Amino acid sequence: MNVMIEPSLHDVVSLTQEVWTSFLGYDEPLFEGEPLPDDATVVSATVTVSGAWAGVVSLQVSEAMAHRITAAMLGGSEKVDESDVSDAVGELVNMVGGNVKSLMPGPSTLSLPVVAHGRVFWPHESAEVVRADLTWAGEPVCIAVHVPLEQ
Amino acid sequence: MLALIIDDSRAMRKILARIVSDLGFDHIEAENGREALDHLEAGRVPDLCLIDWNMPVMDGYTFVTRVRANNEWRNVTLMMVTTESEHNQIVKALAAGAHEYVIKPFTPDAIVDKLSMLGLLPQEMSA
Repeated sequence: MNVMIEPSLHDVVSLTQEVWTSFLGYDEPLFEGEPLPDDATVVSATVTVSGAWAGVVSLQVSEAMAHRITAAMLGGSEKVDESDVSDAVGELVNMVGGNVKSLMPGPSTLSLPVVAHGRVFWPHESAEVVRADLTWAGEPVCIAVHVPLEQ
Repeated sequence: MLALIIDDSRAMRKILARIVSDLGFDHIEAENGREALDHLEAGRVPDLCLIDWNMPVMDGYTFVTRVRANNEWRNVTLMMVTTESEHNQIVKALAAGAHEYVIKPFTPDAIVDKLSMLGLLPQEMSA
């Protein structure tokens, strides 16, 4: 049976900040910010946690931000293509999701990341329990946690 | 010294490669446990493996059990580098033969500290 519990906004933001500073450097801190504009071209990445706790952790950033993140993670000197962008953004949500999973009751398993160029649309059977609209290097970063309505 | 970096994320392999290269390691890479085993079976036996847990084809835990089942590879040091941070999974990996466990996100210093504890740093860096 799943347990009805959710991570706190503070924990999710702290985990996201830790991931950001570990892999994207300390020069550009991650701040509280504005939501992604409706007309933004977006890269979305999700990981799903299944088991004693179930949920989906998602990360959405603009295309421009996704390329900047990718270049930073690859070391800045390499040519970045679309597969690199999917890989880098997927790895970031994987780290945030894996650490959210560790805060929730276990045992549970973490899926491989799924990355899409476009926004994520959630089924009616899920509820957004955490949403953090952040800013990195002047661009919006949205991290969210959804859970099934009936856990 | 040779390090084998096993992670399905190219970005993560590059990050780890920069760290171990700065420490003086040569390195090779694999996208999953199966590809890593191919390196070992071809005679490219590393001193150190940095191993993600969740990967397609063959996961890191299975890779650890396969390496530990082959006595010819008993001297290979195995370090998990993964987002899997549940206590029972850490215990499971260490029981299967992993020497160390690093949870993502990590800092380069965390990797250096673990390698120092394992005696895998050049002496001038361990001092």
